[in-house]
Amino acid sequence: MGHNVYLPKLARIVEIKEEVSGVRPIKTFRTNFLDGDGFLYRCGQCAMLSVFGRGEVMISISSSPLVKDYLQFSVLKMGRVTSALHDMEVGGVLGIRGPYGNSFPLDEWKGKNIIFAGGGIGLAPMWGLVHMTLGNKKDYGDLTLIYGSRTSKDIVFKEELEELKKRMPVHLSIDVPEPGWSEFVGFVAQNVLDKKLSPHNAIAITCGPPIMIKTVIKALKDLKFEDEQIYTTVENKMKCGIGKCGRCNIGRHYVCKDGPVYSWAELKKLPQEY
Amino acid sequence: MDKILAKKDFPEWLKKLKAYRVYAPRKQDDVWNYEPVSGPDNVQLADVMTAVPAKKIVFPQREYFFEFRETDDNGTKLTELLPEDNPVVVFGVRPCEGKAVTLTDKVFSGEFEDPYYWKRRNATTLVGLACVNPPSPNCFCTSVNGSPHSKEGLDILLTDLGETFYAEALTKKGEKLIHEGQKLFKDPKPEDKKKAEKIQVEAEKKVRRKLNRIENVPLKLKGMFDSPLWDEESMSCIRCGICTYLCPTCHCFDMNDEVETTTPLQGKRVRTWDTCQFPDFTMHSSGHNPRPEKSSRLRQRINHKFQYFVEIWQNYQCTGCGRCISLCPVGIDIIKVVEKVRDYGS
Repeated sequence: MGHNVYLPKLARIVEIKEEVSGVRPIKTFRTNFLDGDGFLYRCGQCAMLSVFGRGEVMISISSSPLVKDYLQFSVLKMGRVTSALHDMEVGGVLGIRGPYGNSFPLDEWKGKNIIFAGGGIGLAPMWGLVHMTLGNKKDYGDLTLIYGSRTSKDIVFKEELEELKKRMPVHLSIDVPEPGWSEFVGFVAQNVLDKKLSPHNAIAITCGPPIMIKTVIKALKDLKFEDEQIYTTVENKMKCGIGKCGRCNIGRHYVCKDGPVYSWAELKKLPQEY
Repeated sequence: MDKILAKKDFPEWLKKLKAYRVYAPRKQDDVWNYEPVSGPDNVQLADVMTAVPAKKIVFPQREYFFEFRETDDNGTKLTELLPEDNPVVVFGVRPCEGKAVTLTDKVFSGEFEDPYYWKRRNATTLVGLACVNPPSPNCFCTSVNGSPHSKEGLDILLTDLGETFYAEALTKKGEKLIHEGQKLFKDPKPEDKKKAEKIQVEAEKKVRRKLNRIENVPLKLKGMFDSPLWDEESMSCIRCGICTYLCPTCHCFDMNDEVETTTPLQGKRVRTWDTCQFPDFTMHSSGHNPRPEKSSRLRQRINHKFQYFVEIWQNYQCTGCGRCISLCPVGIDIIKVVEKVRDYGS
């Protein structure tokens, strides 16, 4: 018998950044494994984080595999474990199991234009992918990021997004007008339509709240994207992360192990239960 | 390896199994359950269906995974709490439960092998008892590719011949157990084998409940996701979870941290059985719930057993023990539900 699949590796929090404050706070945690080793992961994969005494939560890895110095997680404070995580400080010890799940099929996307359409904390599961494709830009066509948040205060990776604007088109949006806001006002789906994105040789990835994903997919379909050109990530309640505890399934698929990345063509065929 | 054991010698065999922790069905407060055996004379092997299936021996309702402890240097120490590998033997296992264990074996294997399950599983010898008479009025093993004398998952199959047991060792573990009581076991005569086979064939005929013609149910279910049937059939459900907790094939679980002291922080991560029939089973921390209604949870249970599991493992996730029918407090009957699926629209 090999490694115990339920036993987390210990990691120390080396940096915490408060991305968003207020009632829906988001923090980014950078961690180092205590044993100095890490794990190899692919864009789109997740890891089970333990806050000992509180439990575990599945979180997407928001750093790109190109980064070797740390493993990064950007977390919206929501339930028992994410709240405990938000209370932790630099130097605190977490448990990490993983990486889990499938990943974005980057090899299939070589030579294609890639559009990222995210909302809220939904930028986190795509953030590693944005940097991975940008780091290997010669392998891909045009890269475009569309990102929306409720207000300008809810934008994650704010400074990095400003930096990103120098290297690729970034279209931001907020839901309602604010003084001093010069970019798009409206929902992400409206921004997608507004920018008249071309489906030609393109892949579009959308992550965010369920209602945003639905409306963005509809917008992409209106722009004549095929189902096979649209990708998203699914999240469900998880405990084991390895396809045994039985709660994250959509039909025969366990999202923890067979997901979280699905093309709309694949997801459409599954029961609409997520 | 086939042998014959005189029933009067059964306690002698048990006496020789000193290295094993022995479990057998025992009646307490009118309920049968697999319990540790107190003495060699206290085991009665009969056609009974325990309330809790034998899965609890290899997959207990509650077990610890590891201990976590805060250390002085702002660190954390984890101590793995794997089960001991002392050998265990379970007597009187129903063939449908042996078959069920082959299904949980599949779930707990693969890329992410479950060390807790397999430590117990490998240390456990399952001695099955072929059913002469159906141990439950709701037995329907013969409808789901099983039989009252199925050998799947068992290490030994005993068949009651009246004065003797016909004992078939099916695995190395089974042979070892028979070897422990060697001189008590005799070689069978040809007529013993014939008698055992006759009893087994007759036992099949005694299984009264049937769930016939279900080959198309997995495919049929695909088109019935939005059917009003799920609402109708789940109406009376009081979401107690008995159908799944006491199912020998159900494997869903929860994992939680139990804190013993807070300064320094010390506690254990524990696994407990869980069930798809509880509303918070799938509820996100945001409050969003993919299965908010009783109907969606009954639909999940039936689809998992008769479609999803079949697609993944090519087996129904049901071995026909009938517990979920007999023990449901409101009379939801899986046979009737699946029959309605089968006949839906025709």
